[in-house]
Amino acid sequence: MARRRYHDGLALHQALPGQFLPFLVAAMSFLAALALAGGIAAHNLSQRWTHGAGAVTTVQVPGPDDPAAGSGTRIAAVQDILTHAPGIVAAHRLSDAELRNLLAPWIEQTGDASLPLPAVIEVHTAAGQDPMSPLLSRLEAIAPGVMVEHDSIWSNRLAALAGSLQACALLAVLIVMTVAVCVVMAATRAGLQTRRQAIVLIHSLGAMDSYISGRFASRVGLLALVGGLGGSLAALPMLLAMSHLAAPFSAMTDAPVLAPVDWRDPRAWADIVPHALLWMLLALPPAAGITGWITTQLTVRAWLRRLP
Amino acid sequence: MFRLHDVSYAYGGNRAGVAALSHISLDVAQGEFRWLLGPSGAGKSSLLSILSLEVQASAGMVEILGVPVMQARRSNLARLRRRIGTVWQDFRLLPDLSVFDNVALPLRLQHRAEDEIAHEVHAIMKWVGLENRLDARPLQLSGGEQQRVAIARAVIYRPALLLADEPTNALDERQAGRLMAMFHRLAELGTTIVVATHNDAIVEKYPAPAIELAHGHMVRDYR
Repeated sequence: MARRRYHDGLALHQALPGQFLPFLVAAMSFLAALALAGGIAAHNLSQRWTHGAGAVTTVQVPGPDDPAAGSGTRIAAVQDILTHAPGIVAAHRLSDAELRNLLAPWIEQTGDASLPLPAVIEVHTAAGQDPMSPLLSRLEAIAPGVMVEHDSIWSNRLAALAGSLQACALLAVLIVMTVAVCVVMAATRAGLQTRRQAIVLIHSLGAMDSYISGRFASRVGLLALVGGLGGSLAALPMLLAMSHLAAPFSAMTDAPVLAPVDWRDPRAWADIVPHALLWMLLALPPAAGITGWITTQLTVRAWLRRLP
Repeated sequence: MFRLHDVSYAYGGNRAGVAALSHISLDVAQGEFRWLLGPSGAGKSSLLSILSLEVQASAGMVEILGVPVMQARRSNLARLRRRIGTVWQDFRLLPDLSVFDNVALPLRLQHRAEDEIAHEVHAIMKWVGLENRLDARPLQLSGGEQQRVAIARAVIYRPALLLADEPTNALDERQAGRLMAMFHRLAELGTTIVVATHNDAIVEKYPAPAIELAHGHMVRDYR
């Protein structure tokens, strides 16, 4: 007996044509990829601003070798406080050579190399913390005239801006996901209407709700996966170009250069594009597939509830 | 086999709907053959729809094959439907499937092996005399042939309860006779059968206990 092709009457190729849904999901995935890329870029900038120069505070101690209010020298007392204060990652006293190198333009102008200089301590604080403010009165008490300069005011504002950008990106992703879910729901409901006669029949022949919803969900999940893959692939060249252009702003090092890239070498792409962005592009197709699958399961099961 | 107690049914809901059945009580045992009689609009199709789980009664108690239908979970109802065969008046064949696939549909939903399905389909189609039309589409068949395909689909999985709505409408006398012989054979094997008809001639030719409806009420339940 010749083998026959399996038919259960749902004819999902008619109910859910293979061109329409993947194209729409691809468009949604493309937009989601751009929004997520924006969020990741804002996160990277925020990291750079809060962990980089913005997290450094300068403490000037005039008369460092003078006796402190308690015991020992002023600089030793200040360093002791800074070293043991929570929220301070490192406290580095600049050496004489570093200090004179830093002040070389002014010293050369005055022509007086024996000018008494304060001791300067570079304090690296933990991201998002301000440990210096509570210490000011203690420092002032043991070393009157001590000066603390925060470099973090602008970086904090920029970090707040980056936070807002991340929130906007997240909102954009949520909107795109909502639209994608609505599109999948509409396509599924149209498919259900197209095959209504067959669904009602196989329901009356004893098909479980899980069987019918599973068949629809598998089809939609696959189409959404293909669409997500298309969207990711379409977004890749644009994100590569944008990452390359934004490299000087987002790099953790201070090297604002646009090095030439060999675009034919995929390994070079990995150097340009942040790893989080690459993972996001890889995760997008399965996420689209799973979203499509779940949405279809719920839509079909809700529709089947109309039947007894 | 099935019991109905004080069952009512209204199209479009209980309150504002049009009453199709009122206070029907029935008790039909395993292996019984019953005619369901009455003029058009008497409620025969509504009663068959309740028994085939196509609609739910608006009131009363329905128990089919030991399952209290009104309280059953959806998954249990689906399993119960697999034990009920129905021949609808409008056949309900899927036009985009071949005759083979239409008849094989109930077995596929039970996840039977394809070899077994092919064997069963060929056997039943030979019995209804359409073994040469397996690859045809329903719309390529005559009314009588479509009816025979619908009958084959309803009996292929040997249901415990067989419901048929005017199954001899499009059949000639010889085919109707063969169908009635098959129904009686199935009843002897333990299948409970309810056949709705307003064809008095066939009822007289094949006498059997009958349920008679008029205007949604049960007029007689005679054996």
